[in-house]
Amino acid sequence: MQAALPKATGRVRRRRQRTRWFDWMTAPALIVLAVVVGYPIVDAVLVSFTNYSLYTPLHHYVGGVNYSHLSNDPVFWKSLQNTVIFTGVSVAVGLLLGLGLALALERLRGPWRFLRAILLTPWAVPVIVTAFLFEFMFTNPGGIINSLLETAGLIHSPLPWLTSPTWALTAVIIANVWMQAPFFLLIFTAALGGVPDEVIEAARIDRARTWSMIALIKLPYLRNAALVGALLMIIQNFNNFPLIWAMTTGGPAYGTSTLVIYVYQLAFTSFKLGYASAVGVVWLVLLMIITSLFIRTLRSRPA
Amino acid sequence: MSLTVDKPVPEQPAGRAAAGTGRRRWRPSVGRSIVIVLVGLFGVWTLWPMYWMLSTALKSAKEATNLSPTVWPHTITGANFHELFGGTLPFSTYLVNSVLTSLIAAAVAVLISTLAGYSFSRGGYRLTSAASLVVLATQMLPLVVFIGPLYLLLLRAHLLNTYLGLIIGYTTFAIPFGAWMMKGFFDAIPREIEESARVDGYSRLGILFRVVVPLSVPGLVTTGVFVFMNSWNNLLYPLTLVSSNSRQTLPPGLLQSFSGTFKTDWGGMMAASLITSLPLVIAFFLVQRSMVRGLTAGALAGT
Amino acid sequence: MAAITLTGVEKRFGETRALRETDLEIDDHEFLVLVGPSGSGKTTLLRLVAGLETLTGGEIYFGDTRVTDVDVGDRDIAMVFQNYGLYPHMSVYRNMAFGLRRRGLGKQVIDLKVRQTADLLHIGHLLDRKPRQLSGGQRQRVALGRAIVRDPAVFLLDEPLSNLDAHLRVQMRAEILKVHRAVTATALYVTHDQVEAMTMGDRIAVMNEGVIHQLGTPDELYDRPADSFVAGFIGTPPMGFLTCERIREAGTEQLRAAGARFRLPPETVTALPPGASRLVIGVRPEHLRLVPPAEAEAAGCALQGVVEVVEPLGSEQHVLVAMGGSAITAKLPRDQRLNRDDKVAFTVSPDHLHVFDPESGRALR
Repeated sequence: MQAALPKATGRVRRRRQRTRWFDWMTAPALIVLAVVVGYPIVDAVLVSFTNYSLYTPLHHYVGGVNYSHLSNDPVFWKSLQNTVIFTGVSVAVGLLLGLGLALALERLRGPWRFLRAILLTPWAVPVIVTAFLFEFMFTNPGGIINSLLETAGLIHSPLPWLTSPTWALTAVIIANVWMQAPFFLLIFTAALGGVPDEVIEAARIDRARTWSMIALIKLPYLRNAALVGALLMIIQNFNNFPLIWAMTTGGPAYGTSTLVIYVYQLAFTSFKLGYASAVGVVWLVLLMIITSLFIRTLRSRPA
Repeated sequence: MSLTVDKPVPEQPAGRAAAGTGRRRWRPSVGRSIVIVLVGLFGVWTLWPMYWMLSTALKSAKEATNLSPTVWPHTITGANFHELFGGTLPFSTYLVNSVLTSLIAAAVAVLISTLAGYSFSRGGYRLTSAASLVVLATQMLPLVVFIGPLYLLLLRAHLLNTYLGLIIGYTTFAIPFGAWMMKGFFDAIPREIEESARVDGYSRLGILFRVVVPLSVPGLVTTGVFVFMNSWNNLLYPLTLVSSNSRQTLPPGLLQSFSGTFKTDWGGMMAASLITSLPLVIAFFLVQRSMVRGLTAGALAGT
Repeated sequence: MAAITLTGVEKRFGETRALRETDLEIDDHEFLVLVGPSGSGKTTLLRLVAGLETLTGGEIYFGDTRVTDVDVGDRDIAMVFQNYGLYPHMSVYRNMAFGLRRRGLGKQVIDLKVRQTADLLHIGHLLDRKPRQLSGGQRQRVALGRAIVRDPAVFLLDEPLSNLDAHLRVQMRAEILKVHRAVTATALYVTHDQVEAMTMGDRIAVMNEGVIHQLGTPDELYDRPADSFVAGFIGTPPMGFLTCERIREAGTEQLRAAGARFRLPPETVTALPPGASRLVIGVRPEHLRLVPPAEAEAAGCALQGVVEVVEPLGSEQHVLVAMGGSAITAKLPRDQRLNRDDKVAFTVSPDHLHVFDPESGRALR
């Protein structure tokens, strides 16, 4: 089936169509990010090596002084510890609550699905409102939570929820879990919807009972959702500013001061921008390590 | 070519098959009751704070600050709401500022995210995956780390204390997740539809705006709501980038209003919280179902 | 209206070669079918002609015009997709008018064309519906209508019937041919179904692993398959193959396999390469004739074996016969009652034998 060459071609031109490198459609996003995120990040790293202060615009390079100062700064270590506790407990409790609920509510049908929607509402409540709400409920004297606990006989005297450093952290975490457990419910509900019906039916034919069905069939399907949801929430809680700032501004006695709060206070209350940036950079590195660990775990998922 | 016909059929274990009949009939069991109780408890835990907000907002100032709180308001009054809009507090200014900046930020972010998300979804360029990863990574950066340099940047650009400055901040913050959300929605559109439009002679932009965008309206709205929620919640940006009261948004405005001497105006605080929550909760309920899809798409990005 | 010429067309996706250097000429107004198993490169070839994929080598011409670098929208083609690719948010009318509008035609002209085409396909009453309100067959007609309303030079169809049920498929086969005659565009039709290919194509290109194995009319493919792949792909049930030893005895040549013996007529022998000691014989199931064992002994070409499976099909039956290590299928009338483990014997006319080279699979006669 030798084809006769058409007349029009004197010589066959060979112009390969190449795959192009860049798509202009991503340009607006990349430009905005470069200007508003990229530049400030680079700037932050540079500033972290100076004694920059908003008081005196004059500043000079001080080398690693900020970083060495940081290792001897008890507030930094306290804030790091608080960050880890706040994030770890919030995510762990939120994840378990969300998972349990998603499994319990999985078979809601028809109008009952509205129940799930209602349980999701806290996620949509503005953070500032959550902060106000819990501040109000935890207030002492006169807070409803102490009042309820006393009525139920669980405590004998009111707890100093927002005035003791330890209880304040607990209070902030409780508010945070209220706000975030619905997110996990949302993610797990979606992931449960992704378990193929055939697999469930096959398991039923194999006479899997409720618990073995959950443990052996459903949980493996939820692994990625759990990892991704946890990663997202870890990042978000590491960066959680509004809730803590509105409830306690990091107090009392740095009891709820996390790294975000500390950086903000350094930069905008003490105006030590250089030192604040150094703390920020250390924490950025920390965040990147956590993220890469998670991504590695995700990539290694079984096929 | 060979063919085996009679494969030996494994013998059916008799008796076990019969025992299972009627098993799936609904029957109250201990496990089920525990589940129902637990879900009920979670429902109370979820709804109680919201009820408490509503109930306190409707109480008189005296009742709201009562040291032994009343579950049902004795007298229902609209005084707190009256005070919000007619009193000394510039609540309506904050509200207007929040609505304005969040709406514009949502519109701009959706436009930019649409372009980037479409590019990520359809790929075909060598740098597509690199660009999408860069965009994804910015989502993990802590806002507070570059708030200092960003402050200086906006100072030099004379954008402090302006709506534009805020909108730029909000938009940037929302683009990464927004782009990945839109990518998730675009991924669901069959390529054949776009190829039909290519055969019909439409350009890439023509296809995007005449075929793909009309098919992604739920996605656009969901992403818009998501950006709106994020902007509405943002405390850090307005707190640092806006100093004049006439440009302030709700979160820092309320925080400032209900501090110091007004700290115990719980009724007013809850009334303000209620109004601050309403737009978000309503928007969330409207897009609840596609929000699940959008969040999972955005969250599962890069896996 | 245009002939389509492909010279040295090649497509690689990374390391995989979806289509190897291919030359192909499709005549003006022809209905050419590309058929092959999945992954054979037939859809890639179609999409290259459409311009939906960019080629990594070679040239494509429509008539005398080189279209290799011309964008899809400017090639004057129309395409029907496997899942129809209808615009879900547009009515049937707007679906059909969408491409015309892009070409800047006036409102009246568009309206006239859409209505004429809709009448031709009996979908005039559906013009206000959205695609999701239509049945599969109706969507199929809309997809066809949208393609032909533009009066394209080239008409491309990518497995358009694979989502329809068997009954509707037969009906739509005729419909598509009718439409093709009405528009007289050059049509390129992709399918994996060889019955569809045989019934619809003016000519058929059989593809496998990115290569066109044979291009010809349905009769040519059936009667003179170019190699064992085409021979096995065209025809149901498929042709049976037996690897035979070549034995020369007393001036005559025989091909032998377990349970089979083929005495070849001299004119066939001369066509075979003299050195080959092993050859593959192909026999179509419908060419086997069930005979008493004695008659088989006497015949020039005979096969003997044991019935392994009998598949009754109503009008006829397919019988799988084990012969030593291999097996062969026979298509027999229903009145010849056979049971499992029956010993059977067949004869076949030497004219119906296909001989293939065991290594290359090429047909030797």
